[in-house]
Amino acid sequence: MEYGTIEREIHVDASPEVVFEVVSSPEHLKEWWPDEAELEPKAGAAGRVVFHRDAPEEALVVPVMVVDAQPPQRFSFRWGHEAGTVPGPSNSLLVTFDLEPSGKGTRVRMTETGFREQGWEAAVLEQAYQEHGEGWDYFIPRLGAYVARLVSSA
Amino acid sequence: MTVEVDDELWSAIGDPTRRRMLDLLLADGEGTATSLSEHLPVTRQAVAKHLGVLDRAGLVHVTPVGREMRYRVDDGQFARAVAQLAAVGTAWDARLRRIKRIAEAVQRAQGSNQAGPEQERRDEGVRHG
Repeated sequence: MEYGTIEREIHVDASPEVVFEVVSSPEHLKEWWPDEAELEPKAGAAGRVVFHRDAPEEALVVPVMVVDAQPPQRFSFRWGHEAGTVPGPSNSLLVTFDLEPSGKGTRVRMTETGFREQGWEAAVLEQAYQEHGEGWDYFIPRLGAYVARLVSSA
Repeated sequence: MTVEVDDELWSAIGDPTRRRMLDLLLADGEGTATSLSEHLPVTRQAVAKHLGVLDRAGLVHVTPVGREMRYRVDDGQFARAVAQLAAVGTAWDARLRRIKRIAEAVQRAQGSNQAGPEQERRDEGVRHG
């Protein structure tokens, strides 16, 4: 089984307290991610996020479980596991927000780990692709060059 | 907004051995289970199995040549796989930009931001880890 991580960092001109609220509270969650969110920002709390589709009955309901909630430093949760199962590294994605005061704002570090047993490395590969265009020195340089060619000729 | 992910395609390209196989096929233009197994630390039988997975995901084309099956990468399906993977990373970029916008709006509304809200350091803050 393979695991890996997508990482992003962003500076926000708002206090860690405010950022914590935005990344963890259901009201704000649904402004930046799902259409609906039911979640208590407390470690161990089970909830769900809902993504609407054209037809209401096709809405995608995804279980979420809060792993860690330490305002205003860290909020993490697992998502994507099957409803009724216990989320773990093999069946879900772990998203972590680490918040650190930076100047008058906050440095937010987001990681998504365990990118599906099958998909993470490819996702990291994609990240290298996105960032460097041709700097595919990650896993498979030739594959990267090929993709770059495909994309540029598309 | 979610990313539609084709599970079969993902699991096909998500395995490191299969990615190396795709890599070899792309480098040489084509290959057989035997030729691929010479470059990989797995048996010819295992390679044949992996080729079956790639074939079912539409990532390779098979042509019988004599007693052997010859494999080539399907450009269209491969490009599709890459596009899907790209969508996952960009999805997080978009979410983080929204988080930034919302948090900064909340902060401004609270009127306690001394940093000068007009000097929005918009995309400068986005960095890939």
